Amino acid sequence: MPLIRLIDGINEIVGRAVSWVAIIFAGLIIYDVVLRYVFNAPTLWAFDLTKHLYGFYFILLGGYALRHQAHVRVDLVTENLPSMPRRIVEMLGYPLFFFPFAWVFTYHSYLFAQRSWMQGETTYGSIQLPVYPVKIAMAVAAALLLLQGISEFLKLAIGPREESKDVG
Amino acid sequence: QENWTMTTVWPASLELIEMDRKFVELANLLTGDALAIELFDGGTLVPAGEVFGAVESGTVQAGADWPGYWAGRDTAFSPLATHASLFNAVDYVNWIQQWGGFEIYNEIYGQYGMVYLPYGVTNNESGFRTNTPIETTDDLQGMRLRLSGLEQGRLLTQLGGSQVSMAGGEIYQALERGVIDGSEFSTPNVDWSAGFQQVTTHWSTPGWHQSSSIFGVMINKASWDALSEETQAQLRVAADATMLWSLAFTERRSNEAYAQFQEAGVEITRLDDATLATIQEMANATIEEVACENPNSARVYLSQVAYLNDYANWRDASAPFNLGRTPVGPDMDVLAACAEQ
Amino acid sequence: MSGETIAIIMAGILVLGLFMGHPLAFVLGGTAILGAVIAGRTQILGIVVNRIYGDVLDNYVLIAIPLFVLMARFLSDSGVTDKMFEALRLLMARVTGGLGLAVVLISILLAATTGIIGASITVIGVMALKPMLQYGYSKRLSTGLIAASGCLGILIPPSIMLILMASNSSLSVGVLFAGAMMPGMVLGLLYALYVAAVAFFRPDLAPAVKLEEKIGRGALIKMLIIEALPPLVLIFGILGTMLMGIATATEASAVGALLALLIVITRGRFEWRTFTGALKETARTSAMILFIVVGATAFTGVFNITGGLRATQALLRGLEMEPWMLITVMMLIVFVLGMFLDWTGIVLLSFPIFLPVIQEMGIDPLWFIVLMAVVLQTSFLTPPFGYALFYMRAIAPDGVKISDIIIGVLPFIGLIVLMAIAIAIFPQLVTWLPGLLYTN
Ligand code: NA
Ligand code: NA
Repeated sequence: MPLIRLIDGINEIVGRAVSWVAIIFAGLIIYDVVLRYVFNAPTLWAFDLTKHLYGFYFILLGGYALRHQAHVRVDLVTENLPSMPRRIVEMLGYPLFFFPFAWVFTYHSYLFAQRSWMQGETTYGSIQLPVYPVKIAMAVAAALLLLQGISEFLKLAIGPREESKDVG
Repeated sequence: QENWTMTTVWPASLELIEMDRKFVELANLLTGDALAIELFDGGTLVPAGEVFGAVESGTVQAGADWPGYWAGRDTAFSPLATHASLFNAVDYVNWIQQWGGFEIYNEIYGQYGMVYLPYGVTNNESGFRTNTPIETTDDLQGMRLRLSGLEQGRLLTQLGGSQVSMAGGEIYQALERGVIDGSEFSTPNVDWSAGFQQVTTHWSTPGWHQSSSIFGVMINKASWDALSEETQAQLRVAADATMLWSLAFTERRSNEAYAQFQEAGVEITRLDDATLATIQEMANATIEEVACENPNSARVYLSQVAYLNDYANWRDASAPFNLGRTPVGPDMDVLAACAEQ
Repeated sequence: MSGETIAIIMAGILVLGLFMGHPLAFVLGGTAILGAVIAGRTQILGIVVNRIYGDVLDNYVLIAIPLFVLMARFLSDSGVTDKMFEALRLLMARVTGGLGLAVVLISILLAATTGIIGASITVIGVMALKPMLQYGYSKRLSTGLIAASGCLGILIPPSIMLILMASNSSLSVGVLFAGAMMPGMVLGLLYALYVAAVAFFRPDLAPAVKLEEKIGRGALIKMLIIEALPPLVLIFGILGTMLMGIATATEASAVGALLALLIVITRGRFEWRTFTGALKETARTSAMILFIVVGATAFTGVFNITGGLRATQALLRGLEMEPWMLITVMMLIVFVLGMFLDWTGIVLLSFPIFLPVIQEMGIDPLWFIVLMAVVLQTSFLTPPFGYALFYMRAIAPDGVKISDIIIGVLPFIGLIVLMAIAIAIFPQLVTWLPGLLYTN
């Protein structure tokens, strides 16, 4: 189904790209540590910027993780069901839990990001770092998650999924 | 009957929450059956930094704050919260109640669809807690100090130190580990409850970075408008009563805590008058600089400095029985020009 | 709607979602939305986003989670840990039960580099299970030991569980790390003693091994130094800087990831594919953990504002029990939750209920949280839902049945309970090290 391929493709690209951000904020922390201990001159902005990059990182990975079924589930009841009822139970989880949450998350994140953008919100101190980029990223991430949920729901509707267990 | 959900930026572990509790207690008492406010401790509904947004969007009806937390949205919130070496507690009360301050709070918060009732005032904050003495500006050179505020950060930079921004809960550990060389936090009683006596040996007074502070409650405009005029008036009375209570309460508690710090063996030093005069001069320059970047901020400062100049005659005449000092503050003409932009 | 009613409804919806096999993160988040709708408080749904931003995104402490995961990935994906185990195996195999002891030892070492149990169990399982079974170790002892030892990583610092616990309490990561250090090590020691005892009384279950490999003492020592020393230096460097107060956990995690990468490079084991693979794995694992935090913060926010939290706390207080009894009840709840839920969910759901009650009773939160961390070790091992069981099932050869694994972990669950009781009797196990490091 082209829609599934499109959504999966988007989250795959976003996920792979964003997975590199970990290297960037790790580097930033190390840079700041070195400046502080070796040169006794800490940056004023590294602390806030690191936090923002970390926020970007994990929130944008939600859809990617869902695409790879990396989110933990307790399948001790469903795994004993025959294939058809099992698919139905798994599908029901989406309208009952996933979609209400993902919708509220997307809608309110959008309002949240919009307010921050309109107010030109910054961090509060002698360095004024803009806050709205990470809030906008959250709204985008919520939408990507919602889309991926649609894709996963359609996959269940179309046919049985090949098992891929991947917990941490 | 209206039912309000209210939260605050203060966790249950910080004594600052007592002001919020007092206000809610009085408000519930005075408004009788017309209004019931349920107060949730800071952090239990939304994180401290999100209280503003939660009230603004109407998710909760009311949120207790210290206005300075919102300076990232508009730097005008900073002088609504505190001053680097300007107002004392009586100045804030005078200005709010008789010199037009109340209206200015509501003008600024009003831009975000909120009504504001200031109801808490604390006088001078403790000052810096360090492990080396700070007696002159020379001692500040190269020091990494935890300090909140935009004006405060710029001022410290000019004085030769560097500002580290850090949430309240992280300071203790940062001091213990030498991540920072020192920190300001709040009034002595609140500092004591945060355990600074365990991780610092010196205390430099006075708290020039925060000569006095204001606390209050943000109320969503729609929720406020849903109240009868009578209930609104009762809430204002509760706010005024809490304001007076908070002044006496924190002064008594700070005095008690000062003695506790002395007993604990913390070395308490005082900046000399020459140093304080230098800091005042630089603070004035910083205030003018920050104000001129934002007309809203300039308007708030202008109103405050106008009050200081206006009140100076009588205040100085009543010395030595006067209410505090009249500082040589920032230049009114500069502020007036910047407020016009 | 009363707090009691909403608490029961939300708990019911949560259990329903869990058993439907829906991802835990979204069951928690979805229950929050349904709870607010049922309570007629849709206006409050905005707090969900306020909380996600403030508690999870804008949170300096949690940055350490992806970076410790990355550090573990670098070390294990590049085979550095395999070589460490190889050296230890050769050193200890000749002793009766030695192979089992080597498993405990390497587990403790891995535990001190990582905070993710999936990596530990998989790495140890893949390396150790086959030789153990081949040399005549009992299936139950082997699988139970590997599963239980592999979980030590989440207790012995650095640990992402302790980081999350610190982020949701008033304690610092450093204090919690210091507090969990001794209990984690002692628990590892108990496992080792158990293996030694089995080997002594039932040598047929844990026999001595006749090695095919011929290796001289000098060569063995050289191998140990080359293979085991750099990771050990890394481990103690990281832990040391944190415990001695030179760096925060977040800083230590970044430096740790860098050093792990350097070890991989200097060993000549750097490969582009393994590197990007580690980044992708880290992305998935971090998103998995942090999205449970996202769901749980939504849940607890709605649970609180609708009165469910206060009602649940009132219920606990209403029991009017002696502190020790109430703590026992709490630990039993944690144990039972551990059968069905993942540790992230348990920590995030129980902390807002338990901690205020604990504080009122004047109980040291450090001691309580570490006790809970120890009891949570069982959550990985107890059926039906236990990560360690899943991982063992995934790597065990065909001859090993799931029932063997479950019976195999039972003695270790007993040892964990024993450890919890020891902490209750000797609180110094928890408080001694933090007291030494953190009081002037
Ligand atoms: Na660990
Ligand atoms: Na379990």
